[in-house]
Amino acid sequence: MTHEAGREETAESIGHSVGSGAESALEVARRFVERAERTASRLGTYLHRDPEVTLAMAREVDARIAKGEKLSPLAGVPVALKDNLCTHGIPTTCGSRILEGYRPPYDAHVVERLRKAGAVITGKTNCDEFAMGSSTENSAYFPTRNPWDPERVPGGSSGGSAATVAALEAAISLGSDTGGSVRQPAAFCGVFGLKPTYGAVSRYGLVAFASSLDQIGPIARTARDVALLYNAICGRDVRDMTSRAEAKPIAVEDVERGVKGMKLGIPRDLIAEGVDPEVLASLERVAKTLAEEGATILDVTLPHARYSIATYYLIAPAEASSNLARYDGVRYGFRAKGASDLQQMYAVTRGKGFGREVRRRILLGTYALSAGYYDAYYLRAMKVRTLIRKDFTDTLARADAVLLPTTPTPPFKLGEKLDDPLAMYLNDIFSIPASLAGAPALSFPAGMTRSSLPIGMQLVGRPFDEGTLLRVARTWERRNTDALRVPPIAAGARA
Amino acid sequence: MPIDAKVVHQVAALSRLELDPAEEGRFVKELQSILAYVEQLQALDVSGIEPTSQVGSGVKTPLREDRVVPCDVREEALAQAPDRDGDYFRVPRVV
Repeated sequence: MTHEAGREETAESIGHSVGSGAESALEVARRFVERAERTASRLGTYLHRDPEVTLAMAREVDARIAKGEKLSPLAGVPVALKDNLCTHGIPTTCGSRILEGYRPPYDAHVVERLRKAGAVITGKTNCDEFAMGSSTENSAYFPTRNPWDPERVPGGSSGGSAATVAALEAAISLGSDTGGSVRQPAAFCGVFGLKPTYGAVSRYGLVAFASSLDQIGPIARTARDVALLYNAICGRDVRDMTSRAEAKPIAVEDVERGVKGMKLGIPRDLIAEGVDPEVLASLERVAKTLAEEGATILDVTLPHARYSIATYYLIAPAEASSNLARYDGVRYGFRAKGASDLQQMYAVTRGKGFGREVRRRILLGTYALSAGYYDAYYLRAMKVRTLIRKDFTDTLARADAVLLPTTPTPPFKLGEKLDDPLAMYLNDIFSIPASLAGAPALSFPAGMTRSSLPIGMQLVGRPFDEGTLLRVARTWERRNTDALRVPPIAAGARA
Repeated sequence: MPIDAKVVHQVAALSRLELDPAEEGRFVKELQSILAYVEQLQALDVSGIEPTSQVGSGVKTPLREDRVVPCDVREEALAQAPDRDGDYFRVPRVV
């Protein structure tokens, strides 16, 4: 098998061939390592990548299979991990100088689950520092480039995780999503990205950004692969008290059941302005296709969703300012030299260790929480959050899912929004509402622009109903093969 | 609630962040523009609305069994220290 350009190579097909003995995990790992050798440094997808470690993990999987151990459908599947997921003994920096050289003494819950399942780690992917950003340009190390057009951003903050899957350097990956950080890069890179329901996946070992919003989510090239990866990581874990037993694996056959009789709501009020015409045309194409497949398309309203960005940019920085207080230069990571006393050591370490975006958010969050402003900013934002959440509860009582674009525009150019933080934040208008509501949300590839840039559409559903979102996306995917298109940078590669 | 260089300076001190004086002006401008944007929330009537601090906070907190589990990572954790003295983290002068 040559796997030219890896077009049909999904996690599911790899799992089958390794599980049935048609191919060893080591052969698979070698193929992906070779691809990454060709493209990873040009794309800036990885912060840490050690082929020896990857190949050793693959050999271990083969040894387990040889001993007769029954492994999961992900056995031998190369998976990339965002660099804010703790990996025992493997550097974990969150794209920040302040964690330079840090090697966690433990694995995150999702990493434990993937190791047990027999997945093979390709490396730690680049991201915006502490997951704060929408372009991966806020990485303290280097930016990631979009595999479809290296002059453009891959989205963020999980830009490395989305780009590495799009470029076939990994079969699947994990990112984290606080306000869209899995969905937006998935949309920009032409792959699937799921933000599970708040509480569906344990965050134990995910470096915290905004704890009332953070979720870990799968990125993949097919809807079925999303289900396989979600199944490997979901459910209750005693080490994250927000994780819930209601999060159950999705039967992959159920993803094939189609949309006949389903009701899908389009929030026309929210997408009335500022949306790229090609993105709108794509929304209409998706709606038409799903209607042909038997779904009913309704108009719905989310009247408070337009307050989402303002709400989010109070809540998330407030929580971040508290979560990031732990980086003090005492126990791990970077410490500034030459401070004369402890207080100065803290301030200089943090001033030099955190990048501009992170410092800006710490300042904003500390301000919003400080005496005199708490009621006007943070408390008010939490009340508006209640209204936004109610919009979804009301809408999802009439519709099985909400359908809207993942982003207002196709991927933008590197540097285009870097000097205007507010313009960068406004790009998240369609992804943040579901984050504030705690609802599951899936971005799926919905075609390309005339200039060959990916467009992503988004589905938002009821709590713990990820399966319905995958059914809808799978129905569209069956009629369109965009998901398996390969960007030029990867298409030239012959394994 | 205007934000100016003095406020940014105070907030930076509360956050234990030493800022380059040259950067302070830029932070003032950026924070002003973000705070002007979030002002739109003042237009909403939120009287009688309960705050949502966390989705799912209404449900009963699941509890785990309270039992001792071994966690022997002391050496591995201390190995990460920027500066250590035996089994202690060493820091600059406190007082």
